[in-house]
Parts: sequence; structure tokens; C-alpha cells
Amino acid sequence: MMKAGPLELGDAPKSSTPKSGVNRGVSILDFILRLIAIMATLGSAIAMGTTNETLPFFTQFIRFRARYNDFPTFTFFVVANSVVCAYLVLSLALSIFHIMRSAAQGTRVVLILLDTAMLALLTAGASAAAAIVYLAHKGNTRVNWFSICQQFNSFCERISGALIGSFGGIMLFILLILLSAVALSRR
Amino acid sequence: MEATKSSNETTIHIPESKSARSKAAAAPPPPPSGGWKRGVAIFDFILRLCGITAALAATTTMGTTDQTLPFFTQFFQFQASYDDLPAFSFFVVGNAIASGYLILSLPFSIVGIVRPHAVGVRLLLLILDTVMVALTMASAAAAAAIVYLAHNGNSNTNWVAICQQFNDFCQRVSGAVVASFIAAVIFMFLVVFSAVALRN
Repeated sequence: MMKAGPLELGDAPKSSTPKSGVNRGVSILDFILRLIAIMATLGSAIAMGTTNETLPFFTQFIRFRARYNDFPTFTFFVVANSVVCAYLVLSLALSIFHIMRSAAQGTRVVLILLDTAMLALLTAGASAAAAIVYLAHKGNTRVNWFSICQQFNSFCERISGALIGSFGGIMLFILLILLSAVALSRR
Repeated sequence: MEATKSSNETTIHIPESKSARSKAAAAPPPPPSGGWKRGVAIFDFILRLCGITAALAATTTMGTTDQTLPFFTQFFQFQASYDDLPAFSFFVVGNAIASGYLILSLPFSIVGIVRPHAVGVRLLLLILDTVMVALTMASAAAAAAIVYLAHNGNSNTNWVAICQQFNDFCQRVSGAVVASFIAAVIFMFLVVFSAVALRN
């Protein structure tokens, strides 16, 4: 008669399997990427939000000042980047939880859900602002919209630079979702 | 099989069942039922079909815009078409890529239905769906920014609203942007469903 040994069906302790080691590495990388994304989106929001250029001459009828809230799209850009930055700061707690408990699955799904929603918001803000920045640089002769960058040079440079941090944040969010999915799929 | 006869009863030992039992006990436990995963995969497939409809509708509605006003002068154009604005060209290209991707991903989704425990297919679909969320949302938002300008103009930069003249063009373009936002939301749901189906 065969006797089942005491360890025949048992598992080795979880902390020593290679699976949880890789998951822990993935979670640490997730935490680091979140920190970088916080800096990128915060930089974009501040760079766009502090635009204020006044040309040194004026007449009675024409404006010679450009700020970000002259364009509703740029206001949406600043708001979107601020919301995403705040979300990232709050999600650092969940990320630290995943470092400690690398086998958590339900919270990783929640994190993927929230990350996808924030990716959509960030992409919307960055892309809408990019369309307006392109118009500001090139104008459009078919609809008689003139480019403003020849006059407001520093304003244009600021708004173009603010887009870079936001698009970097989009790339980082895609990587974050990919990392969470990889950690979820290892079994 | 040995049988021992005592006074009134017969005991039959069947050693094969014991070895079969221990063999089954030594084999890995059967995977948990894949019933709910199959349901999620079927819902995923149906959502992909809806997404194809939305993305194709957005592409064709924007791509077939062409309005010519019935009067003209020597100096001004009175024609509006989607390729007058680069954001709208990007919109058409982005939504065409999204609908092409959705059509190509249908076989992978069927594989996910047939084999509920396939991990590689779901992971691949999740990653590509995430990229498509970004692409669709980008094209929809860029076109939405231009549509907002076309409706309201901008007094600070002397950009005139063109919708008062090109009414039909503006309506078609606004409808296409709405369809594209619906496709982006569908992509977001697809990502979440793939994540839910990935867990044990």
C-alpha cells in the first residue's frame, strides 16, 4: 500500500519561489515608474499653468497678452495633468502594498482599471493641447485661423515644452499597465 | 484481488483502487472551473464587435465630409473637407488603425473563448488594447479640440467660428468625434475584462 509522504502535495513556502521574486521585482519597477510619472505630469502642469507673456507694446483694441486660460483646451490640459498627478501620488500606497504582498491579484485588477482610466484622461488632455499647439504654430489658411507663434514666441515655446512631460507620462502609464498585467499573469 | 472468507461475510480487498487513488492524489489538482472566464471571453468578443461598429462609423463619417457652400467669390474658399485640418486627417488614420486592429483581434478573442485558461493570448490582447486606448483617445481628443474651436472660435486669437457657415460639416464632424469616444470607452472595458480574465 502506498503512503502519501507529508510533502508530496505540499508547496514550498511562498517567499522562496522564483515566481514571487520576479513579481516583487516587477512591483518595485512599478513603484519607480510611478515616481517618474509624478514628476513628468507635475512638470507639465506647472509649465503650462505658469504661462504669461505680455508683449511690450499695446494699442487700444488689440490684446498683446497670452496666458494658458485664454484657451479652454489648455485649462483642461492643466486640470487633467493635476488630477493624474494626484492619482499617482495616492496610488503609490497601493504600489507599496504590492511590493509587500506580491501575490495579490484583486488589487492588481483594481490598479489596472484605475490606471486605464487615468491613461485615457491624460491622453485626452495631451492630445487636445497638441492640436491647439499645432494650430498656434502653423495656423490654417483654409479656415482663416492665423498662427500666433510669430508674436508670442516664449508662450509658444512654453506650451510646446509642457506637452513633452505629458506624452512621457502616457508612455509610462502604458508601461505601468503592462507591468501589472505581467505580474497578474504569472502563476 | 484477494478474498478472505470468515464465517458469514466476505471481505474483498481491491488494491488497484488504492493505487489509483494515490495516483490521482499525486497528480496536480485539476484547474478551477473556467466557466466564468468563458463568459468574460464571450462578453469580450461581443464588445469587440461593438467596437468595430463604432470605430468604422467614426472613420467613414469623418472621411466622407465634404461640404461646398452654394456661393463663391474670387478670393475665398467656401469648401470644407476633413483634410483641410490635419487633426481630422490624424483622426481618420487613427480610427482606421483601431478598426483594423479590432477586426484582426477577433480570432485571438475566439481562441480566448475556446481555451479559457490561455494566458499568452490574453496578455497580448491586453497590451495591444492598452495601446489602442491611447491612440483612439488621442485622435478623438485632438478632433474634439478642433471641433470646439469650430463651434466657439477664440476671441483672444481672432479665430472665427466656422460652424455658422458650414453647418452640415460641423454636425458630421461632431458625430464622428462622439463615435470615436465611444470606441475609446469600449477599448477601456476590453482592457479591464482581459485583466479580470487573467487572474486565477
